[in-house]
Amino acid sequence: MPELQKLYDAVLNGDQKTAVAATQEALAAGVSPMELITNYMVPAMDKVGSLFECEEYFVPELLLSARAMKGSLELLRPLLAAAGAEPAGRVVIGTVKGDLHDIGKNLVASMLEGGGFEVVDLGADVAPEKFIEAVKARHANIVCLSALLTVTMPAMRTTIDALKTAGVRGQVRIMVGGAPVTEQFAAEIGADGYSDNASAAVGLARRLVRQG
Amino acid sequence: MQPSRQRLLDALNHRQPDRVPIDFGGSAVTGVHVSCVAALREYYGLEQRPVKVHEPYQMLGLVEEDLRQAMGLDVTGVFPRKTMFGFANAEWKQWNFRGLPVLVSTEFRTVEEPNGDILIFPEGDTSARPSGRMPLGSAFFDTIVRQEPIEEERLDPEDNCEEFGPLTDEDLAHIRASVEEAQKPGCGILATFGGTAFGDIALVPAPFLKNPKGIRDIAEWYMSTACRQEYVHRIFERQCEEGLKNLARVHAAIGDTVDAVFLCGTDFGTQTSQFCSVRTLRNLWFPYYKAVNDWVHANTKWKCFKHSCGSVEKFLDSFIEAGFDVINPVQCSAAGMSRRR
Repeated sequence: MPELQKLYDAVLNGDQKTAVAATQEALAAGVSPMELITNYMVPAMDKVGSLFECEEYFVPELLLSARAMKGSLELLRPLLAAAGAEPAGRVVIGTVKGDLHDIGKNLVASMLEGGGFEVVDLGADVAPEKFIEAVKARHANIVCLSALLTVTMPAMRTTIDALKTAGVRGQVRIMVGGAPVTEQFAAEIGADGYSDNASAAVGLARRLVRQG
Repeated sequence: MQPSRQRLLDALNHRQPDRVPIDFGGSAVTGVHVSCVAALREYYGLEQRPVKVHEPYQMLGLVEEDLRQAMGLDVTGVFPRKTMFGFANAEWKQWNFRGLPVLVSTEFRTVEEPNGDILIFPEGDTSARPSGRMPLGSAFFDTIVRQEPIEEERLDPEDNCEEFGPLTDEDLAHIRASVEEAQKPGCGILATFGGTAFGDIALVPAPFLKNPKGIRDIAEWYMSTACRQEYVHRIFERQCEEGLKNLARVHAAIGDTVDAVFLCGTDFGTQTSQFCSVRTLRNLWFPYYKAVNDWVHANTKWKCFKHSCGSVEKFLDSFIEAGFDVINPVQCSAAGMSRRR
């Protein structure tokens, strides 16, 4: 029987090599991908999130754990797709037009993936039409917009307006975040939620999906 | 009313000045965007002429003496010979910055992409890979990360030390001439010599180098501060050694003619927290900060200036203990950093 706790520990400790090896070992022993995600990877990322919130973990540790988890997910994703497994939600995420900063966005994307969401990461400097295209093509129910700069924050409003004009605003819940973004700004531009860190973004996405 | 320099010196030496000394434009972290410098010149009714972009990375405009006087500023800056893109501001040419005529170095060489983004080249060499990108609609450059695939066993700290060499005679002559110029108006002088910013994330990707080696990716660097601390120590040790030698050479050239030295701009804070624990700060950075600041205090009358964005309230005691005299925390909206505190 494989030592599945090793997978949990490897994700928690940001050890990608061990996480991948433990995943391979578990799959070879016949453990289902869903069991690995639900019982080991999601709890590990939840623990990472709580360690971040109580300032025992910081951005470097978050990045390491996210990388370890992604290494495992690379192996599991094709198996999940073949089995037709339903994700917790379908997320389209990107840094808005004019803004090239992506560390915060990447962390949110990884934490959401670790939380069982299917994530379509459009990258940085993403035009509104790209968000619309991805929402339509991937039947997304969450859109996450990131901005690091005060000068690119207005592009969040532009993107939300474009989603409205394209007639897809009603099918998605919109989350925004990034250093200069505030709850008040999120409300002003018509977003459905705001999170000031990657860990809390997962809880917010889960709540928004539950609300429908 | 006190003269500007005296006002700054009083503040730096914990004596009560007649008012708080003001610096806009004296360093890369107290700088003013070229479009704002142009607007300020218009507002104050000064001669309308293209503003010099002295730091192209952030597109910072030079605050010249007439504007400094009009705004009542107390500080002027001394800048390194080379910009963040590795070229000097020796001669100027006119450049149309999306409708605003500005002056840039003749080695400021760019290409515009079909989508309107502007790419800039290290050392002005258009045969090298571009190292900065200004997206359409943006007002300054972001670094283009040029990271070769990392093979853990082959990582060599020396690869991350290419930029930490001795100042050249040309560099020293530039510093000497800049200080002489800065002394003329009689205001306070904040100088930047470079080389002592330990792990500054703006410098890690080395936009000034044509072919940076080692760890140059931003996320990879942050992870290295947690999982490759020995590697980072080796870089900082070497950087510190070179930095101290350079400070000694600069001091031999200019003496105590400058009032404060911008030594490090490494950001330790995010909007809500820090990038590392106090323990990591004290293990990984503190020894090098202390070595540099101790040298400055033992050998010069300069004051040591540290910048950090973000929420760094928990680090302030360590910054003070490491010997920093000035902290420049520009992000007063970050947790625990409000002006009232």
